[in-house]
Amino acid sequence: MDGIINEISDLSVSILINRESTLYIRDILVANYKNKEYLFEIVEINNNKAKAISFESVIGLKRGIKVKKADKRLSVPYTNQILGKVFDSYGNTLNGALQEPINIKDVYERNVSLSELNINSDILWTGIKVIDFFAPVQKGSKLGLLGGAGVGKTVLIKELMNNVFKKFKSNSIFIGVGERSREGKELYDEMIESNLMDKIGVVFGQMGDNATSRSKAVFSGLTMAEYLRDEKKQDVLLFIDNIYRYVQAQSEISAELGKYPIENGYPTTMSSDVSEVEERINSTDKGSITSFQAIYIPADDYTDESVQTISSHLDGQIVLDRSVAEKGINPAVNVFRTTSTLVDPDVIGQRHFDLIEKAKAYLTRYKELEEIIVVLGIEELSEDDKLIFYRSRKLRNYFSQPMFAAEQYTQIPGQLVNISDVLDDVEGILNGKYDDVDESKFLYIGSYGNK
Amino acid sequence: MNGNSESQISKKLDDIIQGKNLYSTGKVVRVNEFIIEVTGIGEVSYFEKVMINNEENIGYVDKISSNSVTIALVKTNNEIKVGDLAIATGEEFTTSFSESSLGLIIDPFGYDRMTGKKVLNSRQIKVETPNIPIMDRTSVNRPLETGIAAIDMMFPIGRGQRQLIIGDKKTGKTQIALDTIANQKDKNVICIYVSIGKTKKELKNIYSNLVKKGANSYTLIVSVFNDEPAPIMKLTPFIAMSIAQEYLAQGKDVLVVFDDLKKHADAAREIALISEKNTARDAYPADIFYTHSRLLEKGCQHKNGGSITVLPIVETKGGDITDYISTNIISITDGQIVLSEKQFQKGQKPAVNYGLSVSRLGGAVQNEAMKILGSKVRRELLSYLESASVYQLVNEDQMTEDLKIKIKTGNKLLNLFKQPKFSPLAVDKMINMFDFILDADTKNKIQMLNTITKPVSSNSTNINTVNERKDGNVTTDVPKIKQNIVNVATSSAIPTPIQKMDEGVKQEEKNNNVSVTTNVINKPTISISNKETNEDTKRS
Repeated sequence: MDGIINEISDLSVSILINRESTLYIRDILVANYKNKEYLFEIVEINNNKAKAISFESVIGLKRGIKVKKADKRLSVPYTNQILGKVFDSYGNTLNGALQEPINIKDVYERNVSLSELNINSDILWTGIKVIDFFAPVQKGSKLGLLGGAGVGKTVLIKELMNNVFKKFKSNSIFIGVGERSREGKELYDEMIESNLMDKIGVVFGQMGDNATSRSKAVFSGLTMAEYLRDEKKQDVLLFIDNIYRYVQAQSEISAELGKYPIENGYPTTMSSDVSEVEERINSTDKGSITSFQAIYIPADDYTDESVQTISSHLDGQIVLDRSVAEKGINPAVNVFRTTSTLVDPDVIGQRHFDLIEKAKAYLTRYKELEEIIVVLGIEELSEDDKLIFYRSRKLRNYFSQPMFAAEQYTQIPGQLVNISDVLDDVEGILNGKYDDVDESKFLYIGSYGNK
Repeated sequence: MNGNSESQISKKLDDIIQGKNLYSTGKVVRVNEFIIEVTGIGEVSYFEKVMINNEENIGYVDKISSNSVTIALVKTNNEIKVGDLAIATGEEFTTSFSESSLGLIIDPFGYDRMTGKKVLNSRQIKVETPNIPIMDRTSVNRPLETGIAAIDMMFPIGRGQRQLIIGDKKTGKTQIALDTIANQKDKNVICIYVSIGKTKKELKNIYSNLVKKGANSYTLIVSVFNDEPAPIMKLTPFIAMSIAQEYLAQGKDVLVVFDDLKKHADAAREIALISEKNTARDAYPADIFYTHSRLLEKGCQHKNGGSITVLPIVETKGGDITDYISTNIISITDGQIVLSEKQFQKGQKPAVNYGLSVSRLGGAVQNEAMKILGSKVRRELLSYLESASVYQLVNEDQMTEDLKIKIKTGNKLLNLFKQPKFSPLAVDKMINMFDFILDADTKNKIQMLNTITKPVSSNSTNINTVNERKDGNVTTDVPKIKQNIVNVATSSAIPTPIQKMDEGVKQEEKNNNVSVTTNVINKPTISISNKETNEDTKRS
């Protein structure tokens, strides 16, 4: 016995530590009460008292219950068996047990040092026009998909899984953090259906689980991705939906412990909490981790502290916008905020770079013209502006795309588009090649020129 | 007689030895609204039911500290003062469930609100159950028809789906839920309407509406009023969900309506602030997302065949759906039906904002015919609404043929979507009303699909609509086009969006005041703005 429960609150317990015991932060305590096992992780130690957050509900617990320190800190399976399995946040399988012996690993141990970091790699084309054109992705890099509630982050993550994962068939890890259980189960069913389950390991700490679970899912999933990178020396794809929920769970824990928050209730340690996770998602000389992370924008507030903190770790970002979604254009990308470090003539080539510049200039002018037109009508525009107006609308429509993950809404089969076709089409639209084609012909198509 | 009392005494002794009925008691030392601090209470577990003085004052253990216990009151009949007796019951705080509650208005404790008596045949159930395991869920694919064309066609709801209804005061949110409940008659769905913080008068009205529609036989109303303590208001949706889960366990389909969760969030905020907890955005507690997410995650299609469909309602202010609580719930649910005050006042009822509403399950919960038709209708309508706002001033020779047709079709669709309350449409009827939008081949295809699924279908509406389309040839004369557009809409005296915007613009031309323009642009309230322009790209 290493202590007894002295205080109980919604998510945490306070422990009176036994004099002979030595406890550390992140040690796990176990209580057995009425045939049920309760687990806690220590988050704070003050003299002979320790605060610990509970893995599950604390309903029914009493003062005086004895707790014992577990042999290991939170650890998850670190073996080839992770592929094909679905885990909860604490490394327990949900679809059948693993075969003994199971090698496990501490989820907090790994850290990537500056020397082992590898930053050179090739471009990975996703087949999604708006991403490949405005924010190309590099193998081993981090792409963030930012958006408010219900603008299509999850659909886009699923589309990327479909396009990238199915195309490259490299082993992957999917971490579901604080998202819908329904979508989690659907993902599992789809993976089984398309015979891809044996190439992916899945960790779920979904929104019905408490804050402890949601915050630990990231560490557990990350450790599994590191297994594939470090031990199997593979190029791994890591999908996280949704990394914001990790910060949110940390805020809940921080509030529960009575710590002072920074703005909007975020924990004072937010920046280091995010870094602790993000700095591990990197490529080394052994293998690479290419990660796609959905980032929820709370209350549609793009300047939210946590969103800014997370996005400072990204190599590229796609920002989804409610005003675009509202017009029925999906993926609802706000091209002005969508960026990638690869947008550089030396990397993507002069032609692609120039086309991005020109497209953005057109679309910027279009936004201004839109407001003028509401008052004056199109006839009042100069000839040049009229051209910009019509071409921009075609361009905007062109960047909508039938997606595989959205077939059930659109009833249009998904399409992959080659980057060279995208460049040709965009060039055609901007240079007036398609001036006499109706704008609606560009909506929800793949390539226009190369049908 | 003697023997009887002896046996009673020995039973009592047995109980004491076994630890049953052995109450632990303490004294109240602090009263802060509905949060009470008690000392001297020894044996007590988290979320245990505690009585203050007698059975009329009930609370549960909210926090156990080293020297005291915090109790949240859920029911009070007398004022509580320092020094009062607190009795721990040794039992978890529970609620009661009875199948005889259908057709009644009950309180969160399982008492009939009308008679004040406990409902017969009830048994105790947990207030909150653990999360439904992810592997026990299956995909949502059976429709739950609302009978409202705009919803069933474009934003369909499936059994096991969570679909938010969101909008300002008096935009018809509750009505959509009631329409849906009324439309479940003879469809084997148990409905639970949860009234959170509605006035007693409003609730009585809702009840009488349901009785009138013959919906009360399969509907249970769980209610909590504003004059009850905030902790019970916070627990009521969970209690209703526990009741729903009792039916789910029997493999039944359940529909739960929460009206509304904004008031629920406010109750949670009240408790957190009075308990002196640190706050997050807008002074709501840090775990407000989790409060709603774990509640709504109980909505599911279970592998046992049963389902819980949830329609949470959220009230907004000034049409802003991007506030904290609204976006939280939007990010939990499987879609949202946004109601707009502007549409409501124009007479476009149900006042659905077609651009902002969405169903994440889409066609997965529709039959083949509705799937094809619904996605087409939605695309046409959105494309029309977007074009209408940009091309409203374009005169006809600048309009392409495609655009002219688009505008005419769009107007017609808007009109067809007008539907009075409690007048549900069957699926085959909807298909006949809207299939004019398809080309002949697809139309035949879906009519065939429709006949297979529903052999009885009337074709009268179908013929009418087709004729209308044929007549509507677009002429070359400008005023005439506008006339045409208005004609299509004349079935109501309300101006169409285009017409109305035209008027607005004309007025402004008179004033020749460009700065007013922003009033005309139909802008949704969105805090992310696209206006930031990149100076560099502008120059290039």
